[in-house]
Amino acid sequence: MKMKRILLACSSGMSTSLLVTKMQEYAKSIGDEVEIWAVGQDQAKKEMERADVVLIGPQMSFLKGELQKEAEKYGIPVDVIDMMAYGMADGKKAYEQALTLMGEK
Amino acid sequence: MNQSLFEKMSKILLPIAGKLNNNRYLQVLRDAFMLAFPLTIFGSIAVVVANLPFLDKVMSEGSLNTLRTILNVAPQSTMGVMTIFVVFGIGYYLSKSYDVEGIFGGAIALASFFILTPFILNVEGKEAVQNVIPLDRLGAKGMFLGMITAFIAGEIYRAIVQKNITIKMPAGVPPAVAKSFSALIPAVVTLTFFLVVNIVITQAFHTNMHDVIYKLVQAPLVGLGSGIIPTLIAIFVTQILWFFGLHGQIIINSVMDPIWNTLSLENLNAYTETGKVPHVISKQFIEIYTVGMGGTGMTLAVIAAILFFMRSKQMKQVAKLGLGPGIFNVNEPIIFGLPVVMNPLILVPWIFAPMVVTFVTYLAMSSGLVPPPTGVTVPWTVPIFINGIMATNSLAGGLLQIVNFAIVLIIWFPFLKFIDRMNVQKEQEESAKQAS
Repeated sequence: MKMKRILLACSSGMSTSLLVTKMQEYAKSIGDEVEIWAVGQDQAKKEMERADVVLIGPQMSFLKGELQKEAEKYGIPVDVIDMMAYGMADGKKAYEQALTLMGEK
Repeated sequence: MNQSLFEKMSKILLPIAGKLNNNRYLQVLRDAFMLAFPLTIFGSIAVVVANLPFLDKVMSEGSLNTLRTILNVAPQSTMGVMTIFVVFGIGYYLSKSYDVEGIFGGAIALASFFILTPFILNVEGKEAVQNVIPLDRLGAKGMFLGMITAFIAGEIYRAIVQKNITIKMPAGVPPAVAKSFSALIPAVVTLTFFLVVNIVITQAFHTNMHDVIYKLVQAPLVGLGSGIIPTLIAIFVTQILWFFGLHGQIIINSVMDPIWNTLSLENLNAYTETGKVPHVISKQFIEIYTVGMGGTGMTLAVIAAILFFMRSKQMKQVAKLGLGPGIFNVNEPIIFGLPVVMNPLILVPWIFAPMVVTFVTYLAMSSGLVPPPTGVTVPWTVPIFINGIMATNSLAGGLLQIVNFAIVLIIWFPFLKFIDRMNVQKEQEESAKQAS
């Protein structure tokens, strides 16, 4: 199975890093090979190149339009993380959202 | 509050937030200040060390003065000349945002700023000193002229580069040589523009751009920003934005930071020279006394209230999750998990508590009960109490946070209790359903 690369973008990459850990734990528990990482908004466009899907922290939802434009170049999906999943650092829910976006579920 | 109102508000707020966040100039300004950030931390550490409260008890006055003199170089060469870094940063990032050579943009912005800077020092009652750059013009006092000059210089520079009026080199010329020539025309035109401006201002009006911008733009804006009413409005808008799930600070700070940072620099300059602080409101006032208590909305007190006094399992789970990040002033778990976002039951304490605390802090500091922040940079992730002491260089600064903590807790308590009762009831019903 191919490695899944998920990019998370928020204001400075700090608050999202907690969710990253939780998502990695969940992916590992179901035996998926993943690379999940969080960056601040200024790096999101650059890092996108390496990603299969981009998830945005809900507090930065206004970035969606701009990032989507950039993501079209690489043909990858962009969406805002579900608020509750983000707040509760629900790794499972956020990971499944990423899979759905990638069309793997 | 129902879903449709949320959507309606989001539709209005989202584009505004997006525009402010993505605005080229505000983005460049944000990056330029970030460039100076590690430097200001270095300068701040030296100021903190030089002013440790017990030093006067363990050192003689002479050696303490020596220590302060040798350490004072650190803040002077960082915060003291902050405008240089900001000017260079704006020139660099603005050029880069247009995909033209950033390093030249930075250098040209800096030279433009120097052209407008009088190389003369007027000391009252003495003959003016020629061929020196007054330090204060490179610090807080020149900040607004610096920002304006850098943006204009960057715009002229990149416009000429993009029009391609550059000197083309024949093939075979080493790329570095070609590069230095290609920056020639844009640099000469941009700097000529500022030279002409300076000639007109100094010869026809017998003044200089520093004094003009300071009097006409900086002093009024900064004066306005140091007031309690504009500060409360900024807090209010930040809280409202977060209530709708948008990052309030990213949006508000991009507008307010130039003013708040200038106030901080003025504070620090005065503090290192006289030990007194002129402004209560500054960047640190905002960071330490509104965000630095568990994150936006001062939610560390909310976490404590839930952990100690509430019974709902769901709330306890959020609070436990939020405790770790909350200590370091990250509170997305509370904002999105409790949740705060679009929760009508929480709207009142969410907006009211920070405004009350801001007002109380302002009163405590302007009355002299607690010293205002000195202007030293304290990273926003430093925990409550410690950050208060560091920012004010006084135990009272930390104690004030404890008082504020209690105020937040008291304001939130009845609302949390109400939500808790609802949740407990729901949880009991659910477990009863599962049991049957």
